[in-house]
Amino acid sequence: MKPDNKTSFAARRAFLRKLGRTAACAGAAVGGGALGVMQTVAAKSEPASSQQSSLIPDYDWTKHQWAFGVDATKCIGCLRCVEACKVENNVSRDPHHFRTWVERYVYLEGEDRPRIDSQHDPVNIAASGSGGEYRFANRYQDAKVEKAFFVPKLCNQCTHPPCVQVCPTGATYKTVDGVVLIDHKYCIGCQYCVQACPYGARFFNYEKHVTDKCTWCYHRITKGLQPACVEVCPVGARIFGDLKEKQSPISQFIRNNRTRVLKPETGNAPNVFYVGLDKDVL
Amino acid sequence: MESLYHFAPFTGYAYPNESVIPWTVLIVVYPYLTGLVAGAFTVSSLYHVFGMEQFKPVGKLALLTALCFMIIVPVPLLLHLGHPERAFNALITPHWTSAFVMFGYMAGFYVVLLLLENWFVFRPDVVRLAREKKGMMGWCCRVLCLGSYDVSAKAMHYDRKWIFALAVIGIPAAHGLHGYVGFVFGSLKSREWWSSDLMPAIFLFSAVISGVALLTALYVLSCWLRRIPVDLKCLKGLAYTLWGFLMFTLVLEGVEFGSLVYKAREGTEMILEYVTGPLIVTFFILQFAIGAVTPVVLLTFMIWRGTTGKALVAGVTLSACLVLFSVFMMRWNVVIGGQEISKTGQGLLEYQLPIFHREGLVAAVAVLVAPLLLLWGMARLLPPWEQNAPSPPSVGNIAGGV
Amino acid sequence: MPKHIVRLIVLLVGFVVVALIAKSYFTDDSFYRYGHYRADSVPEIAAQEPAYQTPRYCRDCHSERVAQWSANNHKTVSCEVCHGPARGHPQKGKLPIPADVVKLCTLCHEAMPGRPGTQPQIQVATHNPNASSERQCIACHNPHSPKIKGVVAAVTGNIAEGKKRAAVCAGCHGPDGISPNDAWPNLAGQNAAYLVRILAAYKSGAEKDVMMTPVAQALGDSEIQDLASYYASLSCKEAPSAPGAGDAVSGRALAAKNCAACHGETGIGTNPAWPKLAGQKAGYLTNMLKAFRAGLRKDPMMAGVTRGLSDADIANLSAYYAGQRCEAIPEGGTKP
Repeated sequence: MKPDNKTSFAARRAFLRKLGRTAACAGAAVGGGALGVMQTVAAKSEPASSQQSSLIPDYDWTKHQWAFGVDATKCIGCLRCVEACKVENNVSRDPHHFRTWVERYVYLEGEDRPRIDSQHDPVNIAASGSGGEYRFANRYQDAKVEKAFFVPKLCNQCTHPPCVQVCPTGATYKTVDGVVLIDHKYCIGCQYCVQACPYGARFFNYEKHVTDKCTWCYHRITKGLQPACVEVCPVGARIFGDLKEKQSPISQFIRNNRTRVLKPETGNAPNVFYVGLDKDVL
Repeated sequence: MESLYHFAPFTGYAYPNESVIPWTVLIVVYPYLTGLVAGAFTVSSLYHVFGMEQFKPVGKLALLTALCFMIIVPVPLLLHLGHPERAFNALITPHWTSAFVMFGYMAGFYVVLLLLENWFVFRPDVVRLAREKKGMMGWCCRVLCLGSYDVSAKAMHYDRKWIFALAVIGIPAAHGLHGYVGFVFGSLKSREWWSSDLMPAIFLFSAVISGVALLTALYVLSCWLRRIPVDLKCLKGLAYTLWGFLMFTLVLEGVEFGSLVYKAREGTEMILEYVTGPLIVTFFILQFAIGAVTPVVLLTFMIWRGTTGKALVAGVTLSACLVLFSVFMMRWNVVIGGQEISKTGQGLLEYQLPIFHREGLVAAVAVLVAPLLLLWGMARLLPPWEQNAPSPPSVGNIAGGV
Repeated sequence: MPKHIVRLIVLLVGFVVVALIAKSYFTDDSFYRYGHYRADSVPEIAAQEPAYQTPRYCRDCHSERVAQWSANNHKTVSCEVCHGPARGHPQKGKLPIPADVVKLCTLCHEAMPGRPGTQPQIQVATHNPNASSERQCIACHNPHSPKIKGVVAAVTGNIAEGKKRAAVCAGCHGPDGISPNDAWPNLAGQNAAYLVRILAAYKSGAEKDVMMTPVAQALGDSEIQDLASYYASLSCKEAPSAPGAGDAVSGRALAAKNCAACHGETGIGTNPAWPKLAGQKAGYLTNMLKAFRAGLRKDPMMAGVTRGLSDADIANLSAYYAGQRCEAIPEGGTKP
């Protein structure tokens, strides 16, 4: 009967219409997606070698692998490193934001846990004279001290940095030469990385509203200088160098000493190697 | 002059950079809000997906509540960010290893989903309003109608299918949206108080109970405002849901805390000193004793004795309010509590809540109240109690098609 | 499909397309080049100008000071630790000289539990009870050459032999070690260790004097020991010398502040490596102080001490010490 043809014809037309609409939608979606993908692929496919030489003038980051060493047996707690770092890197001069700091561990007679203090301790702040100057108060000079020592701390520039893992935007990253940097123009200031760092190396820069941390003075080491803290240490408690060079200070330091890292159980693989740590060092 | 940063006094030893506590009360409010969204949506899906008829009176209310809260969710985050104008960086160049990126896409997706779900559910009302209202309101409604006033059976059929599909997608989306918050905390190695595999589950289940509790309270309040009797079947349904999920939440939280204490890893001593010291009020008394154990006992008693009528309404409403309070305290104890325990495991800090600060008490209260105000406004415009919404297909009909 | 569904789908697809386009538009060009970050930020960070320049930078202009510094124990302490970063110097002016010296020096040298024993440390309260000002550390320690080379072995010369050799010296220094001339120093009763040190310095050329250099160079080491022992054994006869042009009263005040820490209040010090000044010839003292100030006599400690002295100060100091009794009065008041 004709109606059957009509309905089947109508049904076919309806189906084609549906198909056409779906195809249009799908096409639009695919087109938009392709646009995005093409842009990213284009950006990635430029040969890396053509860009490397122009990244930092006179410096090839594929030829270096930086590392840091700390000899805690030598540290005298003079805090010149803390001061120099603040000056070199324009860190705010208050006692609650540090790219590097020194901890003092003191075991008094009869106590099995060390007393630990650092630059943000109110007693030390009072002894320094102001929040912008740094000094350890000589609070234990009349006490019965069984053992005491100083431990400098700074960003460990981990090989598997948890801070980089949690950054939502890609504002913090690990460079080819082994330093974890922060892009101050891209960071949104969510402070997830500050939470993720087990060493307390990161802080919120309330002047720039982004996070900040020690960069091993990247602007110095790429010019053949040493980080400011290493430069000013009067006793050689801080060591810096290139692991790719067998005779660099750090390579020798690692080769000649039994070194340790902080919190190895986290799996971060830190790149600051310590000599002279004690069981209670945090 | 309000100082640029607040540093926390501490006892014992904390790393110098811990002096400034990074995540403030706004980061307590934010998971609370997303939790309420997830919970409210769960209740709406009990009706729209699982076809549980007793939840019909709160079906639309749940969706509208979820939408209003979801709209406010980005506000505490934007207030907290150092550079809120760069917030979209997480969407433009998402770093997929970060749990926060989940928020960007999930939340964006979920806002759209909620908008669509609400649009479908309220479509008949919007169409009616578009025809009736004049001026700005009428114009808005006409735009929302997308130029179509079709409320025929065929259109309703399509709407029903979309509502169902959206609700089905919405359940895992809601749980993903809130579960990741637990992952944000649970996945970190730096804090013993946070680091736990159970965190996503705990956050999720406490979110569900907060949402159910919110809906219960809002439903009872709305009945009281409209001067109509509370639908006891609905209320009982909500009470059972609350009761069941609350017990399970308590088990999860108990197991998590018990595990932590049992394993006694480095830093546990400090945690115990903390929860039996500074945190004893907010943790054991407010979160658990008053906020969780009391409602469980109260609900158990009412269910066991078959309480009904005004007593049931009073008891369930009280339990709901206590649970709402308890879940907020749970967020507080996790976020603030976690940061008050130093990463050294040897020190305790003291979070100081500023009053008139971008991240202060006033801001937090405003963010908590704003969704309720928004809901009130929306409910006046599109009352979620009219029953002309397309009823969901009962479970048996779905496979059968039209 | 109902119209509103179609329009909705179109809206949604359009939204997704716009979002994807926006995403690729707003992504920085340098992003993803080396990883998940903005590659341009690396040179931005590396471009920052260093503040600390290292002592190599100071050497170009301050070569003598750097040489002095690198010959003593503070060679591990970079110039910029005390003087601040050298970026912009000298264009932007001088670098600060620390004012509160005690505050600075005690940062490293205050005795504190936890400091390794290899670090020189002092009890601040008792280290130098004489001096009182905030610059007391540098009263004795030149910050660029702080280690005082004052520890000497005992002098074990033969006095009789020394007396024989001293016949040659008498021509200028007098037969009893009391000089006839205001310009040449008394030697009688002088610290033997000091005499050994100064003669050795003339001999080696570390110090230069037109008359003493050839004299010292003719001496052997044992002869130096003998001469020193001989002169140290002589009595200075208690007599003060003529004060010369200066004002001894003003000189006393100056001496208390600048000199007493090492040379004693009246010019009789405790360290045998440092000369006794009491009763010494005023003219000689004046010449020597001026020589230290000018760097003609090379002692880093004395150079620091004399730097700020005017000619009038020098005259006053010389007058004061010249007028002192050259032997200490023992308790009881009478000489044994």
